Order: sequence, then C-alpha cells, then structure tokens
Amino acid sequence: MSTFADPAILQVIKSRTVPVAIDQAYQRRQQDAEGVFYRKIAGKSPRNNFQGTTQGLFIAAPDGTFLGYTNSRVPKHVLKIINQSLEKYQPAQVAVLARGKSDLQYNPVPPEGGLVLRVQAKVLGGYEKTDNPHRQMEIDAISRDNLWLSRAEHEALVTGLFPPAVAERIARFHLIDNTRGEPPMWAKEQIRALDIKLHGGTVTGRAHVETDDHLRGYQPEFLGYIEAGNGVVTRFDLVAKGLFWGEGTYTRNAPKGKFPLAISFSLADGTDIADRVPPQASRGWINGYMKP
Amino acid sequence: MKSTWKLTITCGLFGTLLLAGPDPALTPATFKQLYQACQTDGSASWRSVPWEISLLDAQKKAATVRKPLFIWAMDGHPLGCT
Repeated sequence: MSTFADPAILQVIKSRTVPVAIDQAYQRRQQDAEGVFYRKIAGKSPRNNFQGTTQGLFIAAPDGTFLGYTNSRVPKHVLKIINQSLEKYQPAQVAVLARGKSDLQYNPVPPEGGLVLRVQAKVLGGYEKTDNPHRQMEIDAISRDNLWLSRAEHEALVTGLFPPAVAERIARFHLIDNTRGEPPMWAKEQIRALDIKLHGGTVTGRAHVETDDHLRGYQPEFLGYIEAGNGVVTRFDLVAKGLFWGEGTYTRNAPKGKFPLAISFSLADGTDIADRVPPQASRGWINGYMKP
Repeated sequence: MKSTWKLTITCGLFGTLLLAGPDPALTPATFKQLYQACQTDGSASWRSVPWEISLLDAQKKAATVRKPLFIWAMDGHPLGCT
C-alpha cells in the first residue's frame, strides 16, 4: 500500500495538519520568503544540505519550528513520525509571513492568454510480471506534467497553424518517460526528426528523439484533434504513441529493450490543483522552456 | 449500485482486454482507447487530501487554524507524480 493510500495517514494529515505538496528543488534554491521559510524547516532536519535533494516528508509548526522528518514511504513508519511530531506541537499565535518580492526564477506563472495542457504518459507494456507491490505501482503509473503555450501560440492554433516552437517544446520536454521518476529531457540536437501538422482540425505527425550513444530514444507518431471557437481553443486532444527505449539516472528499471509508450495532451480546465504546477522542464529557466 | 459496478467492471475488463492484445497502432479507431489509457484515476486516495501547492499559502492557513504543516517535498512536483 502506498503512503497516501493508508486510511490512518489520510485521516491524520487531513484533520490535524495543513498539507502542502512542493517540488523542493525550487524552495531550496529560492531567494525569497518562501525559500527562507523552507530552508528554516529543512535545515533542522537530516536533509540540511541544500546543494542536493532535500526530498521527504516534513512536519513543522506554522512559525517554522521543525517537528519531524522521514523519507520513508512505509505507512507504519510515516504514521509513527507524524504522531510523534504532533505530540511535540504546541498551538500558538503565529504571524502570517509576508510574501515580499518573489524570486522570479522560481515562481513562473502561466503565460497570460496562453494555454495550459495536461500531459500524461503511460508505459503500455514490456514489464516483467512482479509480486512486489511497489514495483507494480511503477508498472501501473501514469505520469502528469503540464505544457505551457504562449498567447501567440494559442492564437496560431486558433487560426489553424501548429507553431514550430510548440512542436519543438513538445519534442524536447514532453516526449519523455516520466512514469518512474524525474527523467532526462532531450537536447535540441537529439531531435532527429520532427514533423507535426494541423490540417482541418486534425493533428498528425511523427518524431524521433535519440541520444548520440543510441541508449535512449523515442519514435512516436501523433494523432489528435483541435477545435476553436470565439477566438479560443476549445478542444486539444492529442496522443503521441510509439516505441521508447532506455532510462535515466532517476528513471531506472524501465522495461528491457523497446517498449510502447503513449502520451496524451489535453486542455487543463483548472479543476485539478495540479493544473497550477509549472512544467517540470521549466524549473529555474522558464524562458528557456518557452523558447527552446 | 449493483448495475453501476457491473458496468464499471465490464468496461474495465473490456479496456484491459483491448490493451492486453497486440500493441495497437495509433489510428482514428484506436485514438480514444490510447487517450483513455493515459488518464489518471481521479478517485485515487491521495487526491482526497486538500493539498496546497504554495508553502506561504500553507503557512498562512496553518497560522490561522493553528495546525502544523505537513510538507510533501519531492524531486519533481509530487502532484505531477514524477
């Protein structure tokens, strides 16, 4: 059972804490009030070296007093740490932190007038059968990321054009296998072929991305449907599907050889809080992401 | 309720059978099936948690309700499952 499938953990964090989910690679670097607050908490934990990852589960008082930490995913252990932390907590009046000036490098916002698309990937086969529940979670995983489009790119789609910059952004940053962790993206020169066309509302095309050593690559075809009305895109349903091979440092244990990977793209309607999360590849360089 | 379960199980089984066969090529006929295969389960238990995604917003809320923060900090955003 995963950590957040455990009823006791769900009950305690929902009823007795304020839960927050973050990509700590931002907060450990941010030069602003949020970064200072995060480092105040994490600095008292075993994960206090901000040159590397500080991932894990933290419990802290609203004033930033550190109460507990674990990087375990075992429900029994996580629950123990939460309960020990809650025992230490003494409710008190605490000032709300002033936001001040945000570190713009780590606080990107979706382009005004642009689009946010949900990007979800699934490995369709190739894994060996397993009795290990954690391995089975990896096998069944569907990843989630967001693709951002600028106002000009949105307007181009409305007029029936598929902007080359969007095709390149998709190829470099979204034709990835992120179902087992944080994957490497593609360098510009690793795009071997890329052809995405929009004709009469139908998107077709193909791509080929591959490393120089040939150890990692993906060769998908594209099919999708885009509709627009009153100057805005009202439908963006796209699927990329093809054979992927290889893995990255943080996406080990991919299926052996070539395996089928499907990636879907669809309009984010704001009903999911994950719609507000910046694209993974934009971390720390939103301008590079938008202009690959 | 019974019939809803039956429908769900039937649809799930049908979907599984479709994907269990030879890897389908991407065509107009298989588009919907492949698109659906990439959609997350909206009822996953972790989604029932009212996650904040801004630490400062969470601090404001925690100070107001006088509860501690529970911080899920990952490499890659946790809500992105990366």
